[in-house]
Amino acid sequence: MRKELRLTVNGQPYELYVKPKTLLVEVLRNNLGLTGTKRSCESSSCGVCTVILNGMAVKSCSILALQADGAEITTVEGLANDGKLHPLQRAFLDYGAYQCGFCTAGMLTSAKALLDENTKPTEEQIREAIDGNICRCTGYNSIIRAMTAVMNGEYKEEK
Amino acid sequence: MSDQYAVIGKSHIKVDGHAKVTGSAKYTFDMVLPNMLYGKILRSPHPHAKILKIDTSLAEKMIGVKAIVTGKDTLGHKNGPWRRFPELCDEEILCREKVRYIGDPVAAVAAVDEDTAEAAIDLIDVEYELLQAVFDPLEAMKEGAPKLHEHAERNINVTRRIEWGDVNEAFEKCDYILEDQFHTSSQAHLCMETHGAIADFGYDGKLTVWTSTQSNYYIQVLLAGMLGMREGDVRVIKPPSGGGFGSKFELDSAQFCSALLSQKLRRPVKIILTREEEFTATKRKTPMYYYVKVGAQKNGTLLAKEVRVVTEGGAYTAMGSTALYLTGFYSCMPYKWAHYRYDGYRVYTNTAPTSALRGFGAPQAYFAGESMIDMLAAEMKMDSIEIRRKNAVTPHYEVPGQAYIQSCGLNECYDAIEKYMKGRWKLPPNRGIGIGNYAFMSGGIFNWFNTPYAFSAAMVKINIDGKVDLFTGACDTGQGSDTTLAMICAEELGVHLEDIRVHAEDTDLGPADLGSWGSRETLMNGNAVKMAAADAKRQLLEFAYAKMKPNVVYDLDIKDHKIYMVDRPERYVSYFDIVSDVIRAKEGQTIIGRGHYTPHRKGMVSPAWSFGVQAVEVEVDPETGKVKLIEIVTAHDCGQVINPIGVLGQVEGATMLAAGGAFCEDQPMDNGKILNPSIGDYKVLRSVDMPKTVGIEVDTYEPEGPFGAKEAGEGLTSSTAGAMANAVYNAVSVRIRDLPITPGKVLKALKEKKEKGKKEK
Amino acid sequence: MINDFDYIAPKTLKETLTLLDQYREDYKIIAGGQSLLIMMRQGLIKPNYLIDIHGISELNYIKTDFKKRLRIGALTTHRAIERSPVIKKSFSVLAEMENRLASVQTRNWGSIGGNLCHGDPAGDPAPVLIALNATLTITGVHGERNILVEDFFLDYFETVLEHGELLSEIQVPTIPSNTGIAYTKFNVIESDMAIVGVAISITLTSKDGHCEDVRIVLANSAPKPMRAKQAEDLLRGKKITDHLLKKAGEISSDEADPISDIHASAEYRRELVKVLVKRVGEEAITRAKKS
Repeated sequence: MRKELRLTVNGQPYELYVKPKTLLVEVLRNNLGLTGTKRSCESSSCGVCTVILNGMAVKSCSILALQADGAEITTVEGLANDGKLHPLQRAFLDYGAYQCGFCTAGMLTSAKALLDENTKPTEEQIREAIDGNICRCTGYNSIIRAMTAVMNGEYKEEK
Repeated sequence: MSDQYAVIGKSHIKVDGHAKVTGSAKYTFDMVLPNMLYGKILRSPHPHAKILKIDTSLAEKMIGVKAIVTGKDTLGHKNGPWRRFPELCDEEILCREKVRYIGDPVAAVAAVDEDTAEAAIDLIDVEYELLQAVFDPLEAMKEGAPKLHEHAERNINVTRRIEWGDVNEAFEKCDYILEDQFHTSSQAHLCMETHGAIADFGYDGKLTVWTSTQSNYYIQVLLAGMLGMREGDVRVIKPPSGGGFGSKFELDSAQFCSALLSQKLRRPVKIILTREEEFTATKRKTPMYYYVKVGAQKNGTLLAKEVRVVTEGGAYTAMGSTALYLTGFYSCMPYKWAHYRYDGYRVYTNTAPTSALRGFGAPQAYFAGESMIDMLAAEMKMDSIEIRRKNAVTPHYEVPGQAYIQSCGLNECYDAIEKYMKGRWKLPPNRGIGIGNYAFMSGGIFNWFNTPYAFSAAMVKINIDGKVDLFTGACDTGQGSDTTLAMICAEELGVHLEDIRVHAEDTDLGPADLGSWGSRETLMNGNAVKMAAADAKRQLLEFAYAKMKPNVVYDLDIKDHKIYMVDRPERYVSYFDIVSDVIRAKEGQTIIGRGHYTPHRKGMVSPAWSFGVQAVEVEVDPETGKVKLIEIVTAHDCGQVINPIGVLGQVEGATMLAAGGAFCEDQPMDNGKILNPSIGDYKVLRSVDMPKTVGIEVDTYEPEGPFGAKEAGEGLTSSTAGAMANAVYNAVSVRIRDLPITPGKVLKALKEKKEKGKKEK
Repeated sequence: MINDFDYIAPKTLKETLTLLDQYREDYKIIAGGQSLLIMMRQGLIKPNYLIDIHGISELNYIKTDFKKRLRIGALTTHRAIERSPVIKKSFSVLAEMENRLASVQTRNWGSIGGNLCHGDPAGDPAPVLIALNATLTITGVHGERNILVEDFFLDYFETVLEHGELLSEIQVPTIPSNTGIAYTKFNVIESDMAIVGVAISITLTSKDGHCEDVRIVLANSAPKPMRAKQAEDLLRGKKITDHLLKKAGEISSDEADPISDIHASAEYRRELVKVLVKRVGEEAITRAKKS
């Protein structure tokens, strides 16, 4: 039997009816068409499904959609503002912090969650913030450089 | 020299960047088509068995199940990329009579959703007659071992010999001889996007397939073959793709089964492999038993090398034949061995097929080879860089009967590493630095796919507004070929990168290209693109020349949208104006340039070679055996760097993959069953585990390559395991010959060394 | 594939207990679901009813009571513990342990109670809590019971929780003076679960620096987190020397009962116990002297 689910995603409120077994990532991708967030493992280990829920980076494949009832969620699609890329996105472009791009959404949301929580993290904290996100292409270091540049204030939000 | 170029040699944001950082890139994984069904594959739970009966009746009755296919629904063709040798095309994909590994497909279901398809799979009843199975290639080669394929005596799938000189005679002349054996392990590609395909078979009898692939041309041809269709009636489109690393240029079960189901239903069918299927039922790195004997002379010359390799082939040939040859070729590199013999045996086993994984035989060859060089150096009391430098291949060296090397920056790489590591060789206890080096191909020469097409081809179309459409068959799976080729095009045509739009995904739209593997794209496709751009440019320059009416014969060129006289650059006309004029002058015809590339008279292996020298620093905990990676520095020669930020990404990404293969990634098995088919149990380096990585480019120019460029990204994976083994030895004096270099193995070796020391006292 | 189940999300503890009593064997509790959902996705657990307690705020807290005991609600997230100023100040080993647990994402959503109830002998919180001499409150519809954390585990993935009960609180007593507690886990990839983990608490006498009390706890060295009691007996009352710590490591290794799996052999795990007990013991003593 389906149950009512209300959540706000990227600033937009939604009202849905979902089966209890539906995962949050399924609602985002299948019901809302926000395919930026990916899935890649069944063991909650890879992090490509990371979104920001009530300010926290979480793995959306490991949360039942109903558990997110009432929550505010930001996906990669919600990072840009009024057509302007978020500083993290600009930094990722400049530093080549992606290759195949499949892990990129998860990296960006993990990075954003860290930035919102702590504007001056150490390199260790930056690495820890994406330690739950696997990248097979870049070797991580370009992503760390991009995140560091943003956290050092080299990129300002575009108005 | 990069100063002379307007576009290449400078870092550019990649052409697919905006789509990827905004989440708007739609991968095969994301695509949904109207009227689409979802498929799942039933796979054999047994390593070796006859299929006696498949009962799909219960599954067919399930609500939501639309079609089920088994081997009986196929034409019975056997598939394989080595089309030149039909006996090596041995994989039915959907098995008809026999299964040969745990994971071999037996049936496929299309249903209204994934859950229904998955439930239906469970209702298919297969009756098997179990057969004896064999898992180790040495066992499989013995008389009386269970036979996997009728045509293969003693399960020997392929053999290869590479030889020059006379090793037996040469060993007599050697002052130092060492003999040893190594074992290399399995590794999974771990693409973040698993294999998948959406097949849409129309009522007009034509098939379109969207799939994550490294070669849409190969998939087109192989799929057409398996379905008994004309190639041109199969269209393969590659959306943005989440990684390949060698796993995605052969026809796979998702592509074949979705096509079969769609053919039956005339509706789109999507099959995406689960992560478990990705680990167990796609191709993987080739494990090998590696026997080696090397001989050197007092004066420091490496004289003779003999190698015998037995590889675990798994159930089918796949690309194992190439891997076997390349292992043999790389085993002689990058040194001038006057005498060399390699015998390679690829042996069928009842395990998941082994094939190409970034490096394609090189990582295995260099693990053993570079370990042996260090051991020789120790015997000969030579420094580890000194022995390599003295014997390294040089520009214009011919590997006897095999390959001709034009540009070679190895010497400069040694210089760069020595400079970087200066003052760092004296280390505290339990820390060590190890050296490894490599040579790697820029695309392969041997036409095993048996295609009459040029190896690469490209087309450039210049529109009235000066915007350029670049059509290639190159498949970007993240390594950045779209951008590299666009940059080459922009450089040649004198326009900006932003003027170029790359169309590289569609077999209907682009020319055939052998795909992204064996590091072909930069050199082979780059040459085709450069030629196509030059062809289009010529049409502009001819007109511009007539218009500018120079007094003397001056050369023209284009840079930054200006068509200018090379010797008098202040005289120029606008590229945009000339484009418009040319189109009018040609009665409105579109300006099109064509290019292609196939290597001529470049030997047996590759038209050009990249080189590198790597220093790996480790710290070993002698009480637990844990190896901590401190730093990995690579000085490498890839000719002219096209996109520096792209190359840096390749250096760092290759390091992560190679280091993983060297010290934590493996696929232990029990009776053919992979025991760790999940991320978490399969260990990969994460951000906290990555050591400091440094890439140093040395400057060379490769005449065969576009603007002097060669490959960067695959060779870089080759030397790490050997360098790491050498580093561990230099840290704690134990040599690990069996990958991966796990703490357990290091600790065991340390204890054995201690015991031996006690006994000797 | 996850099975279809009925889902109820109670808002209070009282409501939850009524439901547990009502559904008896038919339910599974989900808190953060970071362990449970993996098993449900693989079809290993298929409950008819899923009772989601994630939203019960009355079980989500970190506070100290008048006795300066630390009291943690079972639904407190790992991340909250990791970042709690109170815990970082007075029970820092807990914060350190949480910092190395899985990933930030898992810590943001997963709860300490859920982790303990999962009963994984490789879990990080249990050995540290045992070293801290922590206790638990188990609440059922008929009342509460308190037990030591070390008595909570029965076997691999099996705890003393009966149907109708749920873990509601964890209590950590004040750490006595001159006590040092340290924890480390051995793995190849830093964020992985422990191949072997060791937590040690050492209390020194104020007079002569002898070992007044000690707890040596091993993770992933037996079907459940275990104390190496014989090793403890060796150290108790004595002046702890390097040699003695080494011996304690050897005895712990003999007491351990690890399995061989794809990550390590039993033999290697025993070696690790030897080394880690010695090292963690040294660290605990250093901390005890500083405290």
